[in-house]
Amino acid sequence: NEELWVQSVLEMPKRRDILAIVLIVLPWTLLITVWHQSTIAPLLAVHKDDGGDSRRDLAAGLDSKEYCLSDRDIVEVVRTEYVYTRPPPWSDTLPTIHVITPTYSRPVQKAELTRLANTLLHVPNLHWILVEDSQRRTPLITRLLRDTGLNYTHLNVETPRNYKLRGDMRDPRIPRGTMQRNLALRWLRETFNKNNSQPGIVYFADDDNTYSLELFEEMRSTRKVSVWPVAFVGGLRYESPKVNAAGKVYGWKTVFDPHRPFAIDMAGFAVNLRLILQRSQAYFKLRGVKGGYQESSLLRELVTLNDLEPKAANCTKVLVWHTRTEKPVLVNEGKKGFTDPNVEI
Amino acid sequence: YVYSRPPPWSDTLPTIFVITPTYTRPVQKAELTRLANTFLHVQNLHWVVVEDSPRRTNLVSNLLEKAGLNFTHLNVETPKSLKLGLSWIPSHTPRGTLQRNLGLHWLRDSFSNTAPPEGVVYFADDDNTYSLELFEEMRYTRRVSVWPVAFVGGLRYESPKVSPAGKVVGWKTVFDPNRPFAIDMAGFAISIRLILEKPQASFKLEGVKGGYQETSLLKDLVTMDGLEPKAANCTKVLVWHTRTERPTLVNEGKRGFTDPRVEV
Repeated sequence: NEELWVQSVLEMPKRRDILAIVLIVLPWTLLITVWHQSTIAPLLAVHKDDGGDSRRDLAAGLDSKEYCLSDRDIVEVVRTEYVYTRPPPWSDTLPTIHVITPTYSRPVQKAELTRLANTLLHVPNLHWILVEDSQRRTPLITRLLRDTGLNYTHLNVETPRNYKLRGDMRDPRIPRGTMQRNLALRWLRETFNKNNSQPGIVYFADDDNTYSLELFEEMRSTRKVSVWPVAFVGGLRYESPKVNAAGKVYGWKTVFDPHRPFAIDMAGFAVNLRLILQRSQAYFKLRGVKGGYQESSLLRELVTLNDLEPKAANCTKVLVWHTRTEKPVLVNEGKKGFTDPNVEI
Repeated sequence: YVYSRPPPWSDTLPTIFVITPTYTRPVQKAELTRLANTFLHVQNLHWVVVEDSPRRTNLVSNLLEKAGLNFTHLNVETPKSLKLGLSWIPSHTPRGTLQRNLGLHWLRDSFSNTAPPEGVVYFADDDNTYSLELFEEMRYTRRVSVWPVAFVGGLRYESPKVSPAGKVVGWKTVFDPNRPFAIDMAGFAISIRLILEKPQASFKLEGVKGGYQETSLLKDLVTMDGLEPKAANCTKVLVWHTRTERPTLVNEGKRGFTDPRVEV
């Protein structure tokens, strides 16, 4: 018994030592694991890749072959944790902006979506709904969306081809992007419960337009439908809603058909999600829509002129531009192709 | 996490000096806006915007102030004679040359050759498209680094030819692949140290054959085998030479329909 008692007394300090070691080591292992897994790793990876180079210059004493956690590495980790993430952290109080972007394959697609993503990555509580005009979701888009880090939903629906026309032409009676936008509206209605008050705003953003960051903050306070000017539409520097002294929309400053119910471009309005869910039958009209009437075909089922909320300093500032990208010249690819088709552009 | 735009300056990261020539036209503000939105993600980026104008314009000044980027705002007007390509010799001053040279001049004025800052110079036109990855690829350039560029030379992309040893040995282009540097403006970056070491190196102003502008600068800085291939040995496309259509403004008519005080 005495022997056992002595043995257990001898073992106790050992257990305490082990406990002490665990308490010291555990925080460091947690720190390292978090460091490896977190999204700031890409930032730090830059240091690591060329860590050899810069460290060789700055600290000749360090053995560049030895990969060990120096004091500098740990300091960097602590500093960057407080520095920067992309996109901004999700907030519990901001309404979510659901950005619906129809897209289709063509040479400039990846470039367009890249620079659009670079803009969207600054906007808090943004949910990007990207809808491909395709039979299947493509690997290019799948990879791109994943690599951005954005909150996203990836959908697809193919606009029917008009096989009567030569080649692979889409049905010209259906304006481009319509089925894709409608699919996104349907997805929203299937995903969100209209009784569940998750505040949200819906905005249709084509992949070749240009958006200022200010625009997204303007639309966030939309109660029903908000509107603002859009540059480079209707053959003008910009088109704009007409706003009276009382701050109400009473008409449209356009040259082309200003008597349309809603003489406004797709990029010029946003709709409160609640309204989308309440008016669950409101969609963009698919066929028989006159040029310039697509937006009206949806908005007339949602709101009247009177209810529109003018943004952008009562519609005196331009915060979105309807830019279009030139089709690149690819003549030198020739018949068989010159560049490696496995290299994605 | 604290979110700030741009990311806080770091004492250890090399600076990326981006030189962008720009000129007034309807889409200018849109181009600079979306370009700024990209740059606002890049750490230690200093944007050198050089207007082709007799005076710095309010539009660009205000945009730069509001963006929050680290910037320098310069201007130099391309003389009308150069703009029109007055000479009957089939050469011209490509657009942006004077402006890029002014950017280089500012760098040489601002930094001393004896204690050069760690960093690179990159020429970024205001209508191209840049991935964020590109900037991290160029950040640690020792002399001159190169990579593929999409939508130039009538191809999906042009690219340096890289040997298995990782050296640039030629150019995968259809248009004049025997140029000393058959590469687009957006396809290379130069270390600051090199720019300061060779103060005579500038873009040639006149008598430059189409496609030789980049060569006119690079030949005074580096030889082909001194080039550093980036973007996975030049197998990935991280920058696209996009061009923006000119908007139709027919409905403005003779006198103008929209309020000219509203900035577009």
